[in-house]
Order: sequence, then C-alpha cells, then structure tokens
Amino acid sequence: MKTLIKLTNIKKVFSTDEVETHALSDINLEVKQGEYLSIAGPSGCGKSTLLSLLGLLDTSSSGSYTLDGHDVVDINAKQRAVIRNKEIGFIFQSFNLISELTVAENVALPLTYRKDLNKTERTDLVTAALEKVDMGHRTKHYPSQLSGGQQQRVAVARAIAGNPSIILADEPTGNLDSKNAELVMALLDKLHAEGATICMVTHDPRGAKRADRVIEIFDGRIVSDSPTSETYIEEAVA
Amino acid sequence: MNTLSDINFALRTLIKNPKFTALTVFVMTTGLTLCIYMFSFIHGSLVAPLPFEKGDRIRAVDTIKSGMEYQGASVRVHDFEYLKERVQSYEVFSAYTVNTVNISTSDRALKFRGHYVQESFFEISDAKPLLGRLITNDDGLSGAEPVTVISHTIWQNMFAGDKNVLGKKLRINTEPTTIVGVMPDSYQFPSAGRIWLPYTTTAKGIARKNGRSVAVYGVLKPGISDEQANIELRGLMAELEETYPKLNSNTSAHAWTFQAAAMGSGTQIVILAMELSVGFILLLACINVGNLLFSRAIEKGKETAIRTALGAPRAKLVMQMMWESTLICIISGVLAVLFAGLWLELTNKGLLSSFPFEPPFWWHVQITQTSIIAAIVITLVTAFITGILPALKATSGDFNATLRDGTRGAQSKSSGRLSKGIVIAEVVLSCALLLLSTGMVYSVNQQNNIDYGTSVENIFTARVGLPEAEYKSDEKRLQYYQNLKATLISEPEISAVSFTQGLPGNDVPYRTISLEGVDYGSKPQYPSSSYVGVANNYFSVMAMNLREGRTFDSRDKIDSPLTAVVTDNFVNKFFKDGVALGKRFKFSDSDNAWYTVIGVVNDVIYGQPIPLNIEKPTAFLSLQQAPTRFVAVVIKTTANDAQDVTGLPEMVANITQKIERDAPAYDVKTLRSSIMARNAGMNFISELFIVFAAASMVLAFSGIYGVMSNTIIQKTQEIGIKRALGADNSDIYKHFIKQGLKQLVIGLCIGVPIGIMLVTMLEKASLAQGSLMIYVGVPAFISFVILLAVYYPVSRALKMEPCAALRHE
Repeated sequence: MKTLIKLTNIKKVFSTDEVETHALSDINLEVKQGEYLSIAGPSGCGKSTLLSLLGLLDTSSSGSYTLDGHDVVDINAKQRAVIRNKEIGFIFQSFNLISELTVAENVALPLTYRKDLNKTERTDLVTAALEKVDMGHRTKHYPSQLSGGQQQRVAVARAIAGNPSIILADEPTGNLDSKNAELVMALLDKLHAEGATICMVTHDPRGAKRADRVIEIFDGRIVSDSPTSETYIEEAVA
Repeated sequence: MNTLSDINFALRTLIKNPKFTALTVFVMTTGLTLCIYMFSFIHGSLVAPLPFEKGDRIRAVDTIKSGMEYQGASVRVHDFEYLKERVQSYEVFSAYTVNTVNISTSDRALKFRGHYVQESFFEISDAKPLLGRLITNDDGLSGAEPVTVISHTIWQNMFAGDKNVLGKKLRINTEPTTIVGVMPDSYQFPSAGRIWLPYTTTAKGIARKNGRSVAVYGVLKPGISDEQANIELRGLMAELEETYPKLNSNTSAHAWTFQAAAMGSGTQIVILAMELSVGFILLLACINVGNLLFSRAIEKGKETAIRTALGAPRAKLVMQMMWESTLICIISGVLAVLFAGLWLELTNKGLLSSFPFEPPFWWHVQITQTSIIAAIVITLVTAFITGILPALKATSGDFNATLRDGTRGAQSKSSGRLSKGIVIAEVVLSCALLLLSTGMVYSVNQQNNIDYGTSVENIFTARVGLPEAEYKSDEKRLQYYQNLKATLISEPEISAVSFTQGLPGNDVPYRTISLEGVDYGSKPQYPSSSYVGVANNYFSVMAMNLREGRTFDSRDKIDSPLTAVVTDNFVNKFFKDGVALGKRFKFSDSDNAWYTVIGVVNDVIYGQPIPLNIEKPTAFLSLQQAPTRFVAVVIKTTANDAQDVTGLPEMVANITQKIERDAPAYDVKTLRSSIMARNAGMNFISELFIVFAAASMVLAFSGIYGVMSNTIIQKTQEIGIKRALGADNSDIYKHFIKQGLKQLVIGLCIGVPIGIMLVTMLEKASLAQGSLMIYVGVPAFISFVILLAVYYPVSRALKMEPCAALRHE
C-alpha cells in the first residue's frame, strides 16, 4: 500500500512574548492508504495539534510533510484550501454543523467550494453521502432539530461527500452517549472497510480498539506506535 | 444599598473597560450634542416665544401678491384702514412704518432703521421706558412737536449715557426732533429697533394708488385661532379685490407670528428637516450604543447565567445592566451639554454676526433652563432605550445551556436577525440623512456659485438715502447723482460709477403689470414683474448683455415718454411671439403711465438665487426719468477683486458726507459680500447639514463596522469550519459580502426613497436640490462603506489559522 501521509521531524512551537510552548517535537509518522489510525494520549499532549497539522488547518514550525507524495509545507493558503477540500474530510467532536443551513446544505458545503462539480453532481454526491449514514430522510431539517448522534452522522456525511483521500476525526464520539457513539464508530468501521483512510483522535479505548494501529503521544512526542492488537493485548496483560 | 452597589458595579465595569467606555461615550456624546445644540438653537431662535404677556397672540399681518408672501411694510395704508374698521378677530389691530432715518449731529451722521409707531405698539410689547415717556397717539397728530424715543445704544453712543438727555434735540432727516424717552437695552421690538417716531401715515387725502405701505400687527382675541383670523382676513381682502380690481389684483393677506414672519415661510420646513436629521443621528447613536451594550451582554452571558443559577431575579439583572447604559448616557449628556454650549457660543459669535440683519431681540441662542431640562429628558430616554433592549435580550436566553457551554461560538438566529436589522436600519438612516444633507449642501453651493447675470467681483456698493425735505424735486436728486458720480470717478481706484434701486442678489419690488392690448376682464388676474430703476450707464458698468434694442441714454428724459429695458424672462413670459421692442406695459396698481420697451438684456437674479427668483421677469426703469431718494451706488474698481481695494468704504463715506451731510453712505461693501450676507442663513444651515452628514457617516460606519465585526467574531468558528472544509479566502469574503449586500440592498431600497422624498420636500421650499449625481453618489458611497465594514473584520478573522478559528469562543 502506498504511503499517503509522511511527517518527518515535525515540530510545532507556540510562542508568546514570554513563553515558548513546544506542542509537538520530532514527530515522524507515516500513514498508508486505507489504514485506520488512532491517536491517543492524555489531554494537552498534542493530539489535536497533530490532527490540525495533518489536516492542513495549521502549519508546523519545522519539518516536512508530504501528502500523497506532494510536499504540503511550502504551499500557499489557497492551495492548502484546495487540498483540504478535495483530499481531506473532517469530523469534529462538537459536530460543527452550521446552524443556519439545512442538513443537505451542510453536507453540500465543501462541494460548493469546488469548481469541477455542477449542481446535479453535487446533489448526487450529497444524496449518496446521506444515504450512507442513513440520514437521507432528514435532508431539509436544521441541525437544531436533530439529536447529537444524528448531527454527527450528518458531519460524517459531510466529511465523505467529496470522496476525500483521508478522513480526520477529532474525538468523534466525545459529545455522544454510548449508543450513538457506537453507531458513529460503526459508521467509521464501514467506511474503513470500504477503503477509507482514517486518522482518529480519541480518548475512548473502545473506539481506539477499532483502529488498525495506535500511536500514543505524550508531551508532544510519539511515545509508541504499534498495531492495535498489540497495544490492547499488552494493556490487557498488564 | 443594593442600588448603590449596582451603580458601583456598573462604574467599576466601565472603568475596567476604558476602550469600550470611550467608544460608547463618544458615540452617545456625538448624538446628544447635536440633539441638544439643535434643540437649543431652534428654541432659542426660530421658535423662541415673544417675551411679552400677550406674546403668544401677537401676529404680523402681511400681504400675499400673486402667491408670494411679503413681510414688513406690505399692506397699503388704505387697505389697512379698511381692515381695521372691520376685523373682529383682534383686540388690537394697528400699524407702523419703517424707514431709514438719518441722524446727524454737528460732527457726524448716522443711519438707523426708524420705526414710526402708535401707542398700542408699546402696549403689546410691555414696553417701559428707561427714561422719560413712550410715543403717544397725540404725538402723531398734525402740528404736534416732532418727538422721538431713542434706544439704549443711541443713548450710549451719541449721548454717552447722559441722564439729562430728555428734551435735547436730534436732527432726524434734517428736522430737529425732541428726545422724550430712552428705552432699556433689552427693548428692540419689533426686531432690532433703535429709534421710534410717531406714526403719521394716513389714507386721508391720498389717492389709493399713491398710498404708502405699512406694517400691520395685531393681538388675537383669546380663543381665536390663526385659521379663523386668516379666514376673516381673506374674506375682507377679497372684498377689496372685488372693489378695486386693478389695484388689488391677486392680493390677499394672512396673519402669522412675528417669529415666522422674521424668518420667512420656509422656516417650518427647515426646522422639520433639522429635527428629522438630529432625530436620525440620535437614533443612530442609540442603535450603536445599544448594539455595543448588547455585544457586551453576550460576552458576559456566562456571568449572567451564573447569577441566574444563583437565584438572581431577572428584574435585578436587567436593572444591573441598565445602570451601565444610564451611566454612559449621563456622562455623555453632561459632555453634550458642555459641547453644545460651546458650539452655541461660537454660533453667537461667528455666525449670527454674519447675518445681513440684526437677529431679533427674542433670540437667545444659548443653553437655557429649557435646554437643560430637554437634555435631561433626552439623556434619560436614550439611557432607557439603549439599555432596556440589550438587558432584556441578554437575560432571556437558556442559562442552563450557557452554563453547559453547549453552544460555543455560534450566533443564535434571533441575534443574527437583530444584527441584520441593525445594519439595515443604519443604512436606511444614514442614506436618508446623507441624501438630505448633500441635497441641501449642493443647493447652497449652486446658489453661492450661481451667475447673477452681472459683474460681481469688481463691484463695490453703498446705499444713500437723501433727506425728503431737501430733495423733493427730481432735478435736485439728479444733480446729487451727478455730483456724487463726478467726485467718485476722480478717485484713481474707481473706474466707473452708476446707480440702481436694487442690487443683484438683494430683494427688489415685485408688482402687477398690465400689457397693452391684453384684455384682463372685469376680475383681472394681472401678471407680476420685478422692477428696478437704474442709471443710464448701469448696464455697461455691470457688464450686462444687450440682446436687442438699446439701453437708456440721453433720450430718456424726465419729460419724455417712459421707457423700460426688460430681461429675457420678461420677454419669454409676456411676449409669446418673442417681439418685445416697442411693446408697452404699465403697473396696474398705481399709475396709468405706459412704459415702452426699448431694449432686452440678460436675466439678473434679485433676491436669493432660488428657482422662483431665477425665473422672475424684471423690468429696468430709467432713474433719469424717475430719480429716487434711496439708491444704491455701484462702484466699479480698477482692481479685479473689489476686496483688494483698501480704504474704499471710508473714502465713499467721507465723499458722500461732504456732498450731503444728511445722507451718509451706509452698507458700504463689496457686492460679493452683500450677496454672501444675503445667503448667510442658507450657508449656516448648509454648514449644519455638513456636520449632520459627517456625524451620520461616522456613526453609521462605526455602527455597521461594529455590527459586522461582532457578527464575524461570533461566526469565527463558522469561518474555521468552512476553511476546514476547503473554503479559501475569496469564498469567505464572497459569503460575507453577499450577506452584507443583501442588507445593503434592503437598506437602500428603503433609505433612498425616504431621502429623495425629504429632498423633494425641501426642494419645494428651494432649500435643497436633488441631482442624479447625489442619488447615485450617496448610495455608492454607503455601499463602499459597507464593503469596508465587511472587509476589515473578515480579513482580521482570516489572519487566524483555521484550527485557531475552530477553537475560537
């Protein structure tokens, strides 16, 4: 399988007038196409910062990052926006649906920024994505009219609508009850099974177990990187 | 105690947020200053009450000829006496006349406006002399000793406040006159009186056509309305028109307050425009401050939720928030009173002195007790309006949700609607106000730069009034003109001298005329024309264009047939075939002498350059054929700009006094300054409206920027989401500009018609002028402002990395 993401010696430093905070140090990471990666670690360890860098929502202080073989460190904001739009799908903990838009409009949002799709194609992609998450019957509802689980399913539909190369999920079940969390995780399993590459930040071991591989971060460094089976067997033994 | 701690808390909050406090105080002070200034100005001048016991019932009675309202001495004495015998609506109905009087002593001569009055004049104005007595009706009887009552100013200036002034003689219009009274400094009725003499004008023994015009006034009986009085007046004037169809053609009368008469019929519309403008500005200020307070209330949502959870009643929370707006408004109110007071002081010093007339004595342009009361009321009302809505809105949300922090970063639908509504309201108000202001400024600018039809820049003017006793004959008057002209022309700075009865830009008489060969029927509706007596060389000195025929020359003598030179407007209005030369007309209300048109010249604007005056026909008559005692001397200087000639006023004053000691020149000034003084009122209003326009733009821009900025801050997370989903900067700009444009279009769709309606309303009173440039330029400017107000906060939000925007709270 080809390497989709390659991070080499990535550092992220947040500076204020007086303090320098090293959020990430010497991050080296490769993610293969079709892989399901879970990023774990305690609060404030740098998980979300890493996900932001992976999703081109932020820039690293040093190091290199290639996405699908292309260097994405020195590209401009417009090019980054194009890559986010076409190659990356985001799922957030707090769903981040836009309250003024309907379910269908929310899912269509990333597609409206693409110049290569006409309205019919957009509608087809939205319908397909919503069917995939079993929300096709709620297209005209507003987010406030949906439960948390339903909102996150819509967010998943939005993330996959444009057929991105990779899905980045930041605590996708963090705001959900166990039943809805299970539904969303099952949805991610299904997407993975269909070939999607997924990078997921999670606190929830039940969620993390579903990934192929788990990396653990502590104080901004990757302290372990192993297949899920090994990680959770060790934990079980311990 | 609770209230005190609430005030203390509000004060602490304001001190802790100096930028917020400064901004809100600035916005509110701007609105309140304009409001208090305007209130004080209008109530201290334009609508100030007459300070007499019966002041609210005193009316001036003036004529309306061919639809034009006249003021001052406008009623023929025969008509006045007819009215006096019949009116039922008045407890006092009387008249006075006004004349320029020459007062000369052994070493100097002075000009004043003299009022020739009856006893009732002083009675209705609660007059009490400082020394001596007032004028009585007996003083006006034939054979009575000539007496006068002088003003405090004359007493001080000419007699150094001599307490033994009573009984002394003053040479008034060459006649020795005994001083019988001195008025206190405060007394200047009817407007800027300086000297009072007995009223002697009568219709007895005078042919109706030669009857003088008098200024009529009355005191309405209690309970009689203006409408009732006017119905009666119109009825009586209609009877006169019926009886004297030639002399009273198209002539009616109406009663109006002295205040309205002093300012003219357009005053009410000007007041309305001013009040509307400051109202709009105050509303803009309230919206802005209200919005700022609301934003603050949202920021403090968590604090409010905690207080609610701890059991604070809503009324208490609302009151606590209200104190903040109350303190802001009180601070602003105090500052506004100070600023408005200073501004009024400057107005008094600078502006009122530039008026061509002395302001009426009842004007007190200053902060008064009424202004303070009004300021307090306005401040409290604005404090309530700006405070109550944000407080109610901020305390009406789901405090539990706020505490759970489940709705981070999102702008609720209702506050989104409110923001949009505020932007629309700001666009509507600023658009209407800017259109109104620019319409007025444009109109005044057009008036200031208009071509009056004559030379203006190199002309000096002076007025002289020859004493009646000495200059009864036409020959003596003509001799005086010749002497004065010969003496002046010998001065090296002067290249030409002429005479006229009326100067361009100044009012001239407007009378009904009848054209030869036109049958006006038994109930004639005669047309009207301005007329001006001029010397033979007037047209060449004033560089006017002769269209056809000739101007006056030596052929136009006292004993030769009367001739006239008319303007283009005259020809276009009265001679449809365009042939004017040789045609004849006469003034229908006085004599039967026919004037033959001998030439046609370009139009000249007399009075303010408003459409009505620009379109007026004018007939120039020969001063050679009818020399008058009162004339304006036109002095053409060798310099291109008369202002560059120094010492000319003194020189003209000396020369005129040498030639005739009882006829000193007065109003010696350049023609340009005479015109500018005539337009001083409009210029003042125009300057005020420039201030309104600037204030409205500052408030609207800051308000719209504030709202957009606030909206965008609240939508920072949404911007982050969109960028995470692939939106680039241009997508984000497009989105917000599109939203701003929606509000802009709605605002303009409402604001432009309101603005055009206001301009049209003022256009009718010749106070504003609309143009395509304004109607396109103002909306374009507002659109530009809106784009800026959207662009800057969005660009600021876009400087954030998307991940920071996503985390933004």
